[in-house]
Amino acid sequence: MLVYVVRRFLYSIPVLLLCSFIIFTFVSVSGDPLSEVKRRPNVSQVTVQQIVERKHLDESIPVQWAYWLKDATTNSFGTDLLGNRPIWPDLKRVMGNTLQLVVAAELLAFTIALAMGVISAKRQYSLFDYGTTTFSFFGFSMPVFWFALILQVIVTNIYLATDVRIFYTANLSSPNPENFLLDRIQHLALPVIALSVLSIATYSRYMRASMLEVVNSDYVRTARAKGVPERKVTVHHAMRNALIPVVTVAALNFGTVLGGAVVTETVFALDGMGLYFIRQLGERDAYPVMAWLMVAAVFVILFNLLADILYGYLDPRIRYE
Amino acid sequence: MSEPVLSVRDLVTEFKTADGIVHAVDHVSYDVYPGETLGVVGESGSGKSVTVMSVLGLIPQPPGRIVGGEVIFGGRDLLKLSQQELQQIRGGEIGMIFQDPISSLNPVLTVGDQISEALLTHNSKLSAEDARKRSVELLHAVRVPNPDARFDQYPHEYSGGMRQRAMIAMAMANQPKLLIADEPTTALDVTIQAQVLDVLQQAQRETHAATILITHDLGLIAEMADRVVVMYAGRVVETGDVETIFHAPRHPYTLGLMASLPRLDMDLERLQPIPGQPPSLINLPPGCKFHPRCMLSHGRVRCRTEEPPLAPTAGGPGHRSACHFKEELADGVAALSADVRTAS
Repeated sequence: MLVYVVRRFLYSIPVLLLCSFIIFTFVSVSGDPLSEVKRRPNVSQVTVQQIVERKHLDESIPVQWAYWLKDATTNSFGTDLLGNRPIWPDLKRVMGNTLQLVVAAELLAFTIALAMGVISAKRQYSLFDYGTTTFSFFGFSMPVFWFALILQVIVTNIYLATDVRIFYTANLSSPNPENFLLDRIQHLALPVIALSVLSIATYSRYMRASMLEVVNSDYVRTARAKGVPERKVTVHHAMRNALIPVVTVAALNFGTVLGGAVVTETVFALDGMGLYFIRQLGERDAYPVMAWLMVAAVFVILFNLLADILYGYLDPRIRYE
Repeated sequence: MSEPVLSVRDLVTEFKTADGIVHAVDHVSYDVYPGETLGVVGESGSGKSVTVMSVLGLIPQPPGRIVGGEVIFGGRDLLKLSQQELQQIRGGEIGMIFQDPISSLNPVLTVGDQISEALLTHNSKLSAEDARKRSVELLHAVRVPNPDARFDQYPHEYSGGMRQRAMIAMAMANQPKLLIADEPTTALDVTIQAQVLDVLQQAQRETHAATILITHDLGLIAEMADRVVVMYAGRVVETGDVETIFHAPRHPYTLGLMASLPRLDMDLERLQPIPGQPPSLINLPPGCKFHPRCMLSHGRVRCRTEEPPLAPTAGGPGHRSACHFKEELADGVAALSADVRTAS
């Protein structure tokens, strides 16, 4: 198992390198990074020349990439284009915030979807089953920003009508909270709900299908024939097997969730990666954008790695391949 | 004879499907006596597996439904027991071996875990260590080499024959009074079949368990069974001891099965099939269910209108056949089977 994990870990290094090259090339060829700076009246020709030298903009793209890679690995992505502001401290802060949002949303989604999928499969064509199917259609078809707005409207109206503050509709925390954790939960609740609905819909459908396939399998029948109680048959024999494909889906879905986080954070004005990305795009500054893309790539690769490890844990048949 | 271990009486099991009701098992009765091996033969879909699944309460309901009958085991009617009471019996007093050991073992649990589970389910006082010790003994008993290491392996690391032997170990774990083997060798190579049968026979000898052996392999029946139940279209059409069934069958279906076997003592170009197809269990023919394919019926009205009961034959004690004209087979078995051969 350890060999498997180490090997999977080593595989991700070339993938990451390739990612960095693609990110750098695509962003570089999308336009002259200096065009915005050159238009500013308060930036002198000398400053532009300094930028060109510092970022090696007069070199070919592969060479630029090599310099950028060196900067990224040894100097935490360096500074922005003008060289005034180091990228990493900002990125680190928003990363922490986004991770809180995304991890909470995914954990919530996975737990709820698992329960929904299992119960739907165990009671196929019951009222509960039809109910979750209907919910899933809503979840799939509802745009995240719209659902987020609806949540805000509802909570705001409750606040206006009853003067009870259940959840906040913007920002990450109050200026001076009495109870930090409670305050954070009150702030994160709505974004987490908005972000998890699509995931709940997706995972519960996969879990249901996967369970249905498994509950009629021969080994589940064997377990019943051994006299194993039904609850244990479901959890120990059926769910263990049904989880395998769902874990893969969840890990591959991570990119989508990160994309959803961009929208959610914008609606809820959260100081996260999404808002940061939008702001840097607006500034036309390629360097924070590339750093952001790189970090996102690392996350996606990490979650795939995590999925592979979980997969190996759940399914002994693939450990030795 | 002593009291039967298991007594199935007039069992009726149906499945509701989109096309109609499938009469999978229709008034099936048979007894299994202590220490004996009862062979249940029949084509696919003759209801042989559904019967034992109904006995153990393993029929998915819905779409399945046990309409009537009773199953007496240890003085209790299994059909009237709650799921909890049935769980006690399943894997405890009745052990079961399934057809396909590849899909019948859980791929994500070690074989040892799965055998231990059978032990621990029925003995809550057993410690995990003792369960392991006992499981290793069981693996050793079914001749799995190096059982201590094999305990921690997964089913995909076992060969086909070893998997089936592990299944046998699992079924024998709690010293059952009755062992049900549903096509135990069908998925295996011929050479492996012999090994598995050896192990199965040894397990039977050691535990003195009565056995129901479900198969469509008449060779297996000849080798293993003491008595035989022949099933067709969800019904028992003939039952008797193995000698009688093979040498003096009194049902044209049984005779047809025998005639369809490859023979070493005759030089045959082709095998002799029973003409026609098994009937649809949704839309059964009236009267005797076998009459459209029967070489004895000759279009007789009685065959088409009246369902023959399973009645004793003149042949011997315990020999019963569900054919109106069973005694016609008494003197002419050889002639008739020759007839069948030349006719086709």
